[in-house]
Amino acid sequence: MSTTAHKVATQAAARTKTTGKRPPSVLREIVYGMSLGLFAGYLWKLHHWNNQRRTREFYSLLDQGKITVVADEPSPGAGD
Amino acid sequence: MILRSLECRFLTIALCDAAEPWQLGSQDAATPMMQGIIDLHHDIFFFLILILVFVSRMLVRALWHFNEQTNPIPQRIVHGTTIEIIRTIFPSVIPLFIAIPSFALLYSMDGVLVDPAITIKAIGHQWRASTQPYEYSDYNSSDEQSLTFDSYTIPEDDPELGQSRLLEVDNRVVVPAKTHLRMIVTPADVPHSWAVPSSGVKCDAVPGRSNLTSISVQREGVYYGQCSEICGTNHAFTPIVVEAVTLKDYADWVSNQLILQTN
Repeated sequence: MSTTAHKVATQAAARTKTTGKRPPSVLREIVYGMSLGLFAGYLWKLHHWNNQRRTREFYSLLDQGKITVVADEPSPGAGD
Repeated sequence: MILRSLECRFLTIALCDAAEPWQLGSQDAATPMMQGIIDLHHDIFFFLILILVFVSRMLVRALWHFNEQTNPIPQRIVHGTTIEIIRTIFPSVIPLFIAIPSFALLYSMDGVLVDPAITIKAIGHQWRASTQPYEYSDYNSSDEQSLTFDSYTIPEDDPELGQSRLLEVDNRVVVPAKTHLRMIVTPADVPHSWAVPSSGVKCDAVPGRSNLTSISVQREGVYYGQCSEICGTNHAFTPIVVEAVTLKDYADWVSNQLILQTN
């Protein structure tokens, strides 16, 4: 029988199933995605800055003469 | 602290001036031009990572939420003016941030701010014997001949211990380090390309034309490259080797070469 009480009870039951579950928020997903992307980009930048620092240090040491890129040649006749 | 220890594990300093097996990144920079190219690549890669991570996450999350049990009622979003404006403007700003350092590097590569001290002409020859003659026009022997020499590739079955296969030549292009050089590249027959990755140089040799490029090698060493424009059967066997030495060693080499040429 489709009484008013029956309709109210059915609607209440249907509402109960979805009560407490919020639909996903597009804005929240976008914010989370951008944050993750920026964090990953920051990690890459760390790698880039580290590379730059090491390159600067290398050339600085090279200019000061503390390191060299020239291998020592064996003296002539050493291998004969 | 964790990041620093992670970085130490992944990064090594080893000068890479020739192609390595399974190589992923660029060779180590030996000129300011190559360092600028590497820096530009790193700047662009930041945006690539940002977009990749963002788009991948949105895709995964959209698939995750598409579930009848957890989300039985679909959203009825038809349009959103604010988000449409943002998603139009933001992606158009990214190329702007890429273009600025890109054009700065491009124009700095073209501009010759310091008068080059030495001019070297690289004349591409088709592979009758895989020759790539070089001419140092600034120096003349007693009979008014420019310093020239051929640069033949070392055959695959004839290398010495420590030499790289198909990358070595008998006469290297010797240049002084920390000196501005002018390279004039032209071919004698078909198109070639004079390329040395660690110097950031790739200059096409076009028949009937002399192309000019400037380089300034910042450290002594031996730098390898290969012909980079298809020129026939032996295109893959035309290596280029540049040896940067101190100014004193370069002067000694020039005088020795002139003596040999005169004799």
